[in-house]
Amino acid sequence: MSKQRPVTFNHNPLLKRELPAWRPRFVLLALLGCSLALVGRAAYLQGINNAFLQAKGESRYARVIEVPATRGRITDRNGDMLAVSTPVRSVWAIPADAKLEPADARRLAALLEMNVAELNDRLSSGRDFVYLKRQLSPDLAERIAALKLPGIHQQQEYRRYYPGGEVTAHMLGFTGVEDKGQEGIELAYEKILAGAPGSRRVIKDRRGQIVEDVESIRPPREGEDVVLSMDGKIQYLAYTALRDAMQEHKAKAGAAVVLDARTGEVLALANAPTYNPNNRSNLTGAQLRNRAFTDAFEPGSVMKPFIVGMALERGKVKPTTVVDTAPGRMTIGTATISDSHRMGALTVAEVIQKSSNIGTVKIALQFTPDEMWHLFEQLGFGAPLNLGFPGETGGRVRPAKTWRPIEQATMSYGHGISMSLIQIARAYMVFARDGELIPLSLTKLDGLPSNGRRVFSPQTVKEMRAMLETVTEAGGTATRANVAGYRVGGKTGTALKIEGGVYTKKYVASFVGFAPASNPRLVVAVMIDEPTAGGYYAGTVAGPVFSRIMEGSLRTLGIAPDKPLAPLQLARKPGEATPATQARENM
Amino acid sequence: MKFGATLSGLFASRRTPVGSETSRAVNRLMPPGAAVRELDLLLIWSAVGLLLLGLVMVYSASIAIAEGSRFTNYQSHYFLMRHSVFLAVGIGFGLVAFQLPMTQWQRLALPLFVGGVVLLIVVLIPGIGREVNGAQRWLSLGPVNLQPSELMKIFAALYAADYTVRKLDAMSSFKRGFLPMMAVILFVGFLLLREPDFGAFVVITTIAFGVLFLGGVNVRVFALLAVFAIIGFIILIWTSPYRRERIFGFMDPWQDAFGKGYQLSHALIAFGRGEWFGVGLGASVEKLFYLPEAHTDFLLAVIAEELGFAGVVLVVGLFAVLVQRAFVIGREAIKLERYFSGLVAQGIGLWMGVQSFINMGVNMGLLPTKGLTLPMMSFGGSGIVANCVALAILLRIDWEVRQMKRGAGS
Repeated sequence: MSKQRPVTFNHNPLLKRELPAWRPRFVLLALLGCSLALVGRAAYLQGINNAFLQAKGESRYARVIEVPATRGRITDRNGDMLAVSTPVRSVWAIPADAKLEPADARRLAALLEMNVAELNDRLSSGRDFVYLKRQLSPDLAERIAALKLPGIHQQQEYRRYYPGGEVTAHMLGFTGVEDKGQEGIELAYEKILAGAPGSRRVIKDRRGQIVEDVESIRPPREGEDVVLSMDGKIQYLAYTALRDAMQEHKAKAGAAVVLDARTGEVLALANAPTYNPNNRSNLTGAQLRNRAFTDAFEPGSVMKPFIVGMALERGKVKPTTVVDTAPGRMTIGTATISDSHRMGALTVAEVIQKSSNIGTVKIALQFTPDEMWHLFEQLGFGAPLNLGFPGETGGRVRPAKTWRPIEQATMSYGHGISMSLIQIARAYMVFARDGELIPLSLTKLDGLPSNGRRVFSPQTVKEMRAMLETVTEAGGTATRANVAGYRVGGKTGTALKIEGGVYTKKYVASFVGFAPASNPRLVVAVMIDEPTAGGYYAGTVAGPVFSRIMEGSLRTLGIAPDKPLAPLQLARKPGEATPATQARENM
Repeated sequence: MKFGATLSGLFASRRTPVGSETSRAVNRLMPPGAAVRELDLLLIWSAVGLLLLGLVMVYSASIAIAEGSRFTNYQSHYFLMRHSVFLAVGIGFGLVAFQLPMTQWQRLALPLFVGGVVLLIVVLIPGIGREVNGAQRWLSLGPVNLQPSELMKIFAALYAADYTVRKLDAMSSFKRGFLPMMAVILFVGFLLLREPDFGAFVVITTIAFGVLFLGGVNVRVFALLAVFAIIGFIILIWTSPYRRERIFGFMDPWQDAFGKGYQLSHALIAFGRGEWFGVGLGASVEKLFYLPEAHTDFLLAVIAEELGFAGVVLVVGLFAVLVQRAFVIGREAIKLERYFSGLVAQGIGLWMGVQSFINMGVNMGLLPTKGLTLPMMSFGGSGIVANCVALAILLRIDWEVRQMKRGAGS
């Protein structure tokens, strides 16, 4: 139809001037030419030069981000959860972007439980990045996100939760806000628990939100679970027994350790005072101390069995050898050593049973300082156990060359030498396992450990066990450490504390022992620091705690009683010593 | 209804028993297929395609901005809803405009143009015109804002056509044909540059002089003017390194990619990311706060990223069809001596062609960055309404021409 020419019917002079037909064609062609130019340009940008442009784009919004590894869980030997990570969110802000209306600031502050002034203070800081609050619960974080405030962002984090609370606090320790171990197992096994973060390439929008996951560069290596040697039930027993004793005796501090004598596994480890690792807002240094590992103290009489054991081993004495402790005082150089009361002539077994200082010193002075130092070294005193625990102490054993005779004498009954509770407990393993010393383990072991280092012969240990059993029997210093149905061996220690180089009137009461004595399975060590009520002698303070922990542990593990049934004694003959007067011991 | 019989005969699909010879004769004059149509379907479909694609892409481009802004009350569909309303209003105005015969439009051309000039003056009055980002372009009318420069584009096309028809015999005269229009455009241009709205200035000037050119203004006058313009332009940029940098900065946006080249570099990245078939509808990264004006001036960049080269070609193609149809309609009208209608149609075609080319050229880094929307597609109330009215006028012209061809009065 375009071929049709307009038909003119008249010759109006106005219409002589026709519009030039080439001009619209020219303009249209020019415009279509522009279209072609656009198509060509688009083809160049999208089909040819696109790699360059995409690279430019990548540099603007592609980011490599870290993919956090999930921290491993900590369980007890039975698989019960002791430490787990739960997801939480942290709220942070870019102050330059966060220009909040007063009403919004009030709402945000209310949700964050901050006051508005503090919030505004943080938001007006000149930095590019400020945390507003860390580790919020997911539902609270959701409500904050729903406010959709500019410049307010969130990030996923993990918070460590400890179901056992204060019961397992010192053993486990805790992680910091960055989810890194700060104390205890969390620190000792940090590398295993933490795993290794991976990385991913992502695309972020201009506000920093991830909008696309491009590729995984390196997958995260998840943290491994750690199975502790701890038995949750025994741990709870140890914790409650210690807590009750602390209250009863109004003591300053305390610690208790339960070891498996066959494997060297630490079944329980409790300290007092303790803390709740899930709420550490009011934490004090005293609560934090893992005393069983970090505090060296002068152990007192619990040292005596080692000296006696060495004398038996070397054939210097027999259990029946008589040692004269009269008159209950003894002078070495300028210093005087005394027993708490006169005991006269005692057999070596009675020296242990009644804990005579003078008797022990007389036995000890048959050795050179070097021999004694060597014994201490063999028992692991003076060097930390190196279990990976933070702040582990090795105690203090001075070199033998510097010992004066009085010092050698006091060391034999546990003064002038110091160690941690875990070190003493471990040393008592020589009595519990026929003279061998094996390394301890905080984690559950598969099978039995290889033979350890021999310190005493089985014969010596047999004799020592018999002597240590008498301590908890009638006439011993710790009859209250007895456990119904089991034969129990052990030794009390009531040591004066040194403060500023001077002995004070403050005591550390301890008891270390094993059971069943016929074939020991457990070693339990208890230490009560500064008991101020209900006596201070170890037999009355630490003994009952030991008894309670030992009894419960034996029953928990289902260990058969080894004590022959004795008829129940309802009354005593007049003149027979009461347990109270027997429960005496020297320092 | 003198032509009733003829009219029914035009519908070739309908077999009329009445005199097959007559039918054949008529069909020779007006082949079947072309005759049955009341309106230009290609024009309609290209326009509808652009409007609907625009609606979808405005939603896609604006969804993130809308969701993340207090201004929109965090509603992701904020711009979608508004754009839909604008479309509805635009179609409403279009239906009204379609009812108006072109003779009426010709009568209204001058008053409308004068009204437009008044609005352009009013918008400059402090306190009345609304300022956004340093440009005072809007008049606040309760819930909506009116942008007079958008309406001025239609008025300019109508006025220039009317002016040309009135002075048809003086077109070869520089003084009588060219100079008055020149003066008028200089005045309008002055008002537009005061806002400032350089983009509208370019488009309106192009429409006015384009219509004049199509209307037969002396080619030598035009050529002379073009030469002077080019020389002036060269002198302007030669004398000022700063201006040179401003004008040619677009050629290498990577030199200052985070400063002056920021917007363009992100638009180009969007093109590069789109490749041949795009990253998929909704998957643009550039629209996530990187590319400013993603739903207005840089809508094509989002189309390029999400729909790829294919999407860009579709848009360019639809505009090419639209412009071609406008020129064909204009030519048909001129053939029937409907000079005013013909020039208006071609003026509208020129408008759509030039504005879409500038916008797309800016998006692709072919032209310096100027604030111009993509006609029929970009978000913006006044623009969409003005585009719909222009489209309605085009269809009116087409309809009238077809009616004439059928002999329905002249």
